[in-house]
Amino acid sequence: MVVYSFYIFDRHAECIYKRRWLPRPTSIVGKSRSNTVSDAAPTGLGQTVRSTDDDSKLVFGTVFSLRNMVRKLGGEDDNFVSFTTSQYKLHYYETPTNTKFVMLTDLKSPSMRIALQQIYINLFVEYVVKNPLSPTEHPGGVGVNNELFEESLEQFVVRAF
Amino acid sequence: MSDNTRGVFSLIIINKAGGLIYQREFQAGLRKLSTNDYLVLAGTFHGVHAITRSITPKIPIAQPTPSPATGTTGPAAPGYSYPNPGVPVSGLDYLETDKFRLTCFQTLTGTKFLLFTDPLTGSVEGIIQKIYELYADYVMKNPFYQIEMPVRCEAFDRHLGAWLRGRT
Repeated sequence: MVVYSFYIFDRHAECIYKRRWLPRPTSIVGKSRSNTVSDAAPTGLGQTVRSTDDDSKLVFGTVFSLRNMVRKLGGEDDNFVSFTTSQYKLHYYETPTNTKFVMLTDLKSPSMRIALQQIYINLFVEYVVKNPLSPTEHPGGVGVNNELFEESLEQFVVRAF
Repeated sequence: MSDNTRGVFSLIIINKAGGLIYQREFQAGLRKLSTNDYLVLAGTFHGVHAITRSITPKIPIAQPTPSPATGTTGPAAPGYSYPNPGVPVSGLDYLETDKFRLTCFQTLTGTKFLLFTDPLTGSVEGIIQKIYELYADYVMKNPFYQIEMPVRCEAFDRHLGAWLRGRT
């Protein structure tokens, strides 16, 4: 299975972390860590070029609306787990403090609820929340983008899949 | 009693402009909403559906030769492909939650059928296809039905209810 991207949103609806794993074209070997590829991709059909920044806003809008819709219909204790389109699958996990973890994967992936929970418990809490140098809130992603967290996330994603 | 009949909570039909044209509950299981809330839900879903299509990850394709240092206009072919090439890019198809499962079926003309079922219900595809068939037969072929307007066709209600109840 393939992980396309991963986002963390805080309770103020701000994207505090985003990361993409774009599968590289087969002819190029190397670590696919950059997100410049999609930034530069011109779209042919009169669409404007969207940056990763705008993408994260769209992702937030989607999960926020869906979450509210699900709560309205299923009750306050209902949670939305994932949705699927013909091209990708979006997994969602929300902590009790309203931090939202979102991951986009391919269609073959199983439920990632546990994985997202693990990322929260083992990586986010350990390396971001418990970091004395990290602020309580993360305006603009300050404190989340520390080396330990990024490295472990990379390893977690690579190891798990 | 089959699992299929037990599983269907409700059906919503949204026209191509995002307006609610049909809403019916078959079984208790979801919370009741006011008519206004259903209208809001239909509109919201319509928008979200469009967004989910536009956030589809784009996979860059290897360019055989990098274009000579102009970089002004886009190439004839876009520089990316979708994860499932060959399959048309769709918006949200299934949504899973702890308590229900939402299946969205969009017709070629943009009408959306939203079926809320129990998470364990099987063959939702078949159910939704049949509903589409009934819609085509009893709503679209009804000479008094005004297109894009709320569905008030007694025959549709009757056949839909009977078919869902009669599934064994």
